[in-house]
Amino acid sequence: MIIDCHTHWSMDQWPQNKPDPETWWDVPGRHGIDHAIVLPLAALTDDTKLQLENDRIHQVCRESNGRMIPFCSVKPSQGDPAVAELQRCTGKFHTRGIKIHPWLQGTCVNTSHMDRICEVAGDSGIPLLFHDGTPCVSLPSQIGLLARRHPKTTMILGHLGLMEHWREAISVMRKESNIWGCLCGPHVAAIKEILQRCDRSRLLWGSDYGFGNVDPIDYRLDLLKIQNLKHGDMEKILDHNPKRLLSL
Amino acid sequence: MTIIIDAYCTPGTERETQLSPRQLLRMMDDAGIDRAVIAPQDREIAVCNIDGNQRILEMAEQFGERFIPACSVNPWLGREGNDIFSAAIEAGAKLLVLAPALQGFNLGDELTDELLALAGELSVPVYIHTGPHSSSAPSQLLLVAERHLSTHFILGHCGSSDYSHDMPAVFSVAPKNVWFEISLVRPWAMASYKEMADPSRFIFGSYAPRNDPRLELQYLNREMPRERYPQVYGDNLLGLFQGAKK
Ligand SMILES: [Zn+2]
Repeated sequence: MIIDCHTHWSMDQWPQNKPDPETWWDVPGRHGIDHAIVLPLAALTDDTKLQLENDRIHQVCRESNGRMIPFCSVKPSQGDPAVAELQRCTGKFHTRGIKIHPWLQGTCVNTSHMDRICEVAGDSGIPLLFHDGTPCVSLPSQIGLLARRHPKTTMILGHLGLMEHWREAISVMRKESNIWGCLCGPHVAAIKEILQRCDRSRLLWGSDYGFGNVDPIDYRLDLLKIQNLKHGDMEKILDHNPKRLLSL
Repeated sequence: MTIIIDAYCTPGTERETQLSPRQLLRMMDDAGIDRAVIAPQDREIAVCNIDGNQRILEMAEQFGERFIPACSVNPWLGREGNDIFSAAIEAGAKLLVLAPALQGFNLGDELTDELLALAGELSVPVYIHTGPHSSSAPSQLLLVAERHLSTHFILGHCGSSDYSHDMPAVFSVAPKNVWFEISLVRPWAMASYKEMADPSRFIFGSYAPRNDPRLELQYLNREMPRERYPQVYGDNLLGLFQGAKK
């Protein structure tokens, strides 16, 4: 089974009131993906769309026969409204996680606002998936500090440090046991070293599919396949780990 | 069909660039790459410039035509750095590599001015790594390229990944002395980039061993088929070297 732990669904691209999962699923389906974690997109740059996009994502995932797994987003710096929106999503939709993109959302990671979101996420038993790998508000080490303050909350480095901060991501994963990493961004040599040095039971794989009509899935799968991992390790990363993360 | 030249490889001995010259040649054979630019590894770019340049020059000499040697010098060395650079060019290096994040300077300032002017005088193209940090953004490269119009610049990696948001603006105003090297640019990003600049401006590079050259070529070929864009795969880079005096 292959679970893609990093995809996006955008209400700007799929503006229908009754969102239909089939067209979106064309690409993942073609590549043999069985499930995908679906993160918001339009709301990350325009927070007036947050509620509506959260609604639509949960709706489209509900229509997907369990293939699409919804994450919501909130803008932590809003304070009370952010907490309320998160509680709405956990209560009404049983959202499976939260996506935070610090630089797109104009949110610093190490703030009291973010702390409140982490507390609610921890209490609800859902993970936070961060965009990471870019200064000045999305470094793995910054998310590591947050994770240290919230040991009961699971946090995912959505890009494992991208092209330049992947060594930092390795250090953070080795230090903080509540940090997971999604292989979605680093190059071949970085992936190799991440696989050697990180706890493989906290590694996930993702494609970042969902931006317009581009298809990044086979390329990103190939980056993992050419590592020649043992079958058991591939199964862990593509299947067992995400199931454990999401209690599937 | 024209030949394929890989614009950036690092046959090194350390960290993620452990790759012997023979292994690199095997990778090139496997991918159908005729020639490759070889550059010093990270430590050599940062602090051991002379050793690194020498190692690369010797490797190029040993393996003949297939390797094109690049050199590097840390701009903080000032005049001494200019001498190291001139000596490397004299010895056969064809390209100057700068990596601001590794070398500890900000590309947006004037530290590199003398070195870049010298590169222009010697007609040696300058490859500058750009990336998500604030030491070397594509917008910063434009600042120096506009100041040194007779120097040829290769904007390495097109700011991958997060400065991709700046690239449309960069493409639209980049002066004629700037070319775009596309290693680390994800294949699907090329689909839009190729509409924003003339094919004569793009240069294929794999960044091996950080990337797998065969895989990179396979995916680039989908977005920019070699038959339609042969110049991207070699001639654009070759043209830059042909301007060199030495
Ligand atoms: Zn993403």
